[in-house]
Formats: sequence, C-alpha cells, structure tokens
Amino acid sequence: MQLILSTAGSYPRIGDAPDLQRHRRAYAQRERGEISAGEFTKVEDEVVAGVIREQIEAGMEIVTDGLVRWYDPYSHFCRGLEGASINGLLRLFDTNLYFRQPVVKGPIRRKASVILPEYEFARSVSPRPVKPVLTGPYTLARGSILEGGYRSTHELALAYALVLAGEVRELSRAGAQLIQIDEPAIVRHPEDLNVLEAALAVVGRERGAARLLLHISFGDVAPLYRDLQALPVDALGLDFTYSPKLPALIADLGSVKPLALGLIDARNTKLETKESVFPVLDAVLPALKTGPTYLMPSCGLEFLPRARARLKLETLKRLRDDYLGGRS
Amino acid sequence: MNGQKLKRLGVELPLLPTSTVGSFPKTPELAEARTKYARKQITRAQLEALEKKATEFWIHAQEEIGLDVLVDGEQYRGDMVAYFAELMGGFQTGGLVRSYGNRYYHKPVIVGEVKWPGPMTVEWWRWTQSLTRKPVKGMLTGPYTVMDWSFNDYYRDRKSACLALAREIRKEVEALIEAGAKIIQIDEPAISVRQEELPFAIEALHVTVDDLPAYFITHACYGAFETIYPDMLELPVDNLDLAISNSALDLLTIFEKDPFTKDLSLGVLDVHSHRIETPAEIKARVMRGVRVLPPERVWVDPDCGLKTRTVQESQSKLEAMLTAVRELRTELA
Repeated sequence: MQLILSTAGSYPRIGDAPDLQRHRRAYAQRERGEISAGEFTKVEDEVVAGVIREQIEAGMEIVTDGLVRWYDPYSHFCRGLEGASINGLLRLFDTNLYFRQPVVKGPIRRKASVILPEYEFARSVSPRPVKPVLTGPYTLARGSILEGGYRSTHELALAYALVLAGEVRELSRAGAQLIQIDEPAIVRHPEDLNVLEAALAVVGRERGAARLLLHISFGDVAPLYRDLQALPVDALGLDFTYSPKLPALIADLGSVKPLALGLIDARNTKLETKESVFPVLDAVLPALKTGPTYLMPSCGLEFLPRARARLKLETLKRLRDDYLGGRS
Repeated sequence: MNGQKLKRLGVELPLLPTSTVGSFPKTPELAEARTKYARKQITRAQLEALEKKATEFWIHAQEEIGLDVLVDGEQYRGDMVAYFAELMGGFQTGGLVRSYGNRYYHKPVIVGEVKWPGPMTVEWWRWTQSLTRKPVKGMLTGPYTVMDWSFNDYYRDRKSACLALAREIRKEVEALIEAGAKIIQIDEPAISVRQEELPFAIEALHVTVDDLPAYFITHACYGAFETIYPDMLELPVDNLDLAISNSALDLLTIFEKDPFTKDLSLGVLDVHSHRIETPAEIKARVMRGVRVLPPERVWVDPDCGLKTRTVQESQSKLEAMLTAVRELRTELA
C-alpha cells in the first residue's frame, strides 16, 4: 500500500524566533520603500527554500512552495488580470485570515503567468516533487464582486477557468505532475456543482500529462461526496475535520478516484494520535479502488504557528510509518 | 419588546437609543505609550494612568455627542479575545499567525481547564460608570467567539471548550451585575461562521446569561446571516446588534419574511470607511429598519467597534449619527 505524504498548500512564512522573521521585516521594509522589489524577491526566494527544506525534513514526499508569495488565495490571481481590480478585506470562510476581494468590471484576461515562475523557482530548490496550487475558477468567481463583463457567477467562473487553463497548460508543459485546484466555495453552494463541473472541464482540457487534484476544505464535504466522484479531475483532496460521517461514507461508497485524505487538522494546534487517525484509515483505505493515496493536512498550514505546523507534518509522517509498520 | 425590561431595571432611554459597539481608537498619547510599554520604556502604572485619561476623554466625548448608552471605549484592551485569554486560567499565548498582508497576531491556546480569575472588567466598568450619569454597558466577548478565535489543545472538541468558557464568562456577567451594570453586551462576531455549530453557540449563551437580571445585547459582525436566520433568534438576549451599513441592508428583506422578535441595534455607520456618512444617508438606513420594526424596538449604532478609525473620524461619524437620530425622533414622535 502506498501512502504518499504531502502538504496541502500554504505554510507559515514566519516563525516566532527572530531568525524566522526575515520575511515580515523585509515586507515592512519593502512597504516603506527601504528595499527594492528585487531585494524583496530575494528574501522571498530564501523563505521559499526554507519552507521547502522544512517540509522535506518533516518527511513530506511532495511539497509546495508554501504559497509564500501570495497575499491571499484570491487577489494573487486577480491582481494582474485585465478587467479586474482589488477591493477591501473580507474574512476567508470561517478562518481569521482576511483576503482582498477581486472586483470584475469587464472581460478578464491574463497578462502574464502567475504560478509558472513560482513553480519553476520552487522546483529549482527542491529535491522532491513540487505540487503547484491554484485557487479554482468557481471559488474565485464566488469570492469576486461582479460589476460588469459577465451576467452571472456561472459566466464569471467559466472566464476564470479560461485564465486558469493557461496556468495549467504552462505548468504541465514545465513538468508539473500533480496540480492542486482549491475549490472550498463549493461546500457552501452545492447547488452550483454543474457550474464547478463546467469550469473544471475547461481547466482540465489543458492539463496534458499532469493530473489534477481537486481539493475541498473549510466545510463538510460529505453531502457532496458522491457528486465529486463524477467531476472531470484525476484525484480528490478532502478535509476530514468538518465531516464526522465522511469515513463511513467512503467506506460505503468507495472511490473511483485516488484520494488525498486531509486527516491532520491544519486549523488547530492539538496533535493527532493513532487513536484518532488509524480507525479512519482502517475504514477508508479498503474502499479505495485506485491509488496512489495521499495523506495531507486538512488545508494549508498557515493557520498555525510555524513550529506547530512543522510538528503537525512530523506527526503525519510518524502516524503513516506506524500505520504501515503495523501492517507489514 | 424589551423596553419594559429596561424600565424594570431602572433604565429610561429615548426613542431610537444610540450607542456604540465597544471600542474607540486609542488616543495618540495612549497609542505612543502602549508602544513604549511594549518596549519596557514605561511602567505598567504609567500606562494605566494614560489608559484612564483616554477613557475619561471618551466618556466626555460620548456625552458631548449625546449618545444614550455609553461604553468605556476599551482603551485598556488590545484584541477582544486575547484580552480575556491573557487573564483567564487555562490559556497560553500562542505563536504568531497571519491575519492578512504582513499583519500577524498571537492566537491564544487553551491548554488546560479554563478558569475565571476573578473580575476582569468590573473595576473598569465601575470607575467609568462613576464618571457619568448615563448608563455604561458592560462589555464582554462571548464564549463561542473566544473558543473559535483560540486554538484548543485541551478540550475534547469545540463544543466542550465553548460550554466550559460559557460557565466561566457567566461569573464575569454576575460580577458586573453585582457591581450595578444593567446593560451588558456580549459580542459574538464569530457566531455565523459555522452554521452547523449555531445550536451549541446558543446553548453556551444560555449558560452565560440565563436568569440573570440585565438587558443583554449581542453584537455580530456582518456574516452569513441568511444562513443562520431565523435560528439566531434563539440566542437568549434582548437585543441583536447587526452590522448592516455595508450590506445593502438585505437583512431587512429577510426580516420581512421571518419577523424579527428582539430589539435590533442597527449598525448604520461603516467603521471600515474613512468617509463621514451624511445624516440623510443615516436616516435612510434607520428608516429601512423602522419600516419592518416598531421604532420602539430599534437602537442605532455604528456597524462595529470604531478602533480602526481616527479620533476625529469617530467623533464626526457619531455626530452625524446623532444629528440623524434627533431629526428622526422629531419626525417619528
């Protein structure tokens, strides 16, 4: 049985120790005009390299760049789009993280690659595979203020899908094997599954040899689980922390797609134990018809202090090894 | 209708009572002193003297503006959850987590049984009330929000943590009432974030306030109210304070369908905007409320704490609000 360890996206960019506050200091210096954009990028590069190193030391087999360069999951994609601007702060789902809301006033068009250069840098400093992460078209559309150019969230989602398809095409050509698409907004709007499906089909057409992992967090995914199996993606990433019924549901229905199991709570500091994780693995793993299976935190780790984020990953590694060891 | 309850408590208020949500900006002198204190350049006593001076400033400012129910302005508090977490037993200061951009904060961690340490806000309330003849609200953060904005290393689950907090926060409510507070606001800005948890958020507030003799207000920032309304009417408080200035007032459309059964504080000033609203705008916002509720059940306030505005902006916004309310009182009388 193969259980591959991976992070789910973001990683804390600073820690409590002074030597881990470099990014915060440089950010403030950049805002005050004391360092150049190039100097700030250099600091970001170093922080990305450190974040990747930390994930690998903790045992991750597929890493991300920690989304260190993202202001937030929305404005990072929309800031450079023709037809969009960035508005005030809004709470990100039920977290204490705030994002800047995109405002769409006219047809949106990508002016430059967003994720490709970030992916290429991360790959250059990582001895392990890097998984690029994109915020999905439906979630971008749901989080945007629509003031023109499109008649509905549905239309806007398809427009974002065209933008993201360009990102996926470039990432696939550059060698990305697994690309994660985050679509947390669908949990709160299951009535829009057809919109999500149409948008993902547009994105998916450009994936080439890469596989698309649809990741859903920040809500109970159980009511959607059956429908998710039919979406045009290659694997599903599921946040288990909101879904007490999910293990039994998967055990009952199985899965025709490989799953990424978000068993480690990335929103709380409490560390998982064998008692909390093994019964879920016992229920779910026999029902999976195809692999590989990934083990992940429930969502990005930047909701935790840095030291605890690392400890969570080390816990994930130890639990995986113990689980497999107990069955060998 | 809870005007009767206020009368029983000995509180007389005019039509469309005006108040604020809790925090006022730190005065420039106090802001500077807090920085110095963090750098250990001044003593705790020096800081506290300036906190009192700033509180006096805000009490006088509220009286001059003409507000009906005053607040202490929270000049001695930083974050609305961390303030209590730093005082209560069972909490530790957590590591840094990002809030947005380059802003980080220390998120508290529940590491043991939470415990009321004795009065946390009562002396401030008592002293502030001694400065004015107008009623001063007791101001607390509710159990659900304290739970949601903390990490939980100790309790089995979120509900257990929330109910434990509710039992301890009740002791602070009792102490405020014992000191003479008649109106107590228990803020629950997190209450709409997880619809499925609303039942235990309501249960927790019952634990905190049931059978206690005060007029209770709960403030909730604008969130997904359409998902928890009308269930949120089960919250055992007399007045729900809702942020509506920035939401095209669509809540009131919802109220037309499912009648609102409590007093309503209409948050009519946008605290996230520098712009000073005109009295005409404010009147229009209040009238949206008065069209679906009798004016006797409507209070008027900003849509959140004013601490992110400047002193001048806060005063100007409140002055515009009072101008609007005075005109409406005449028109509605």
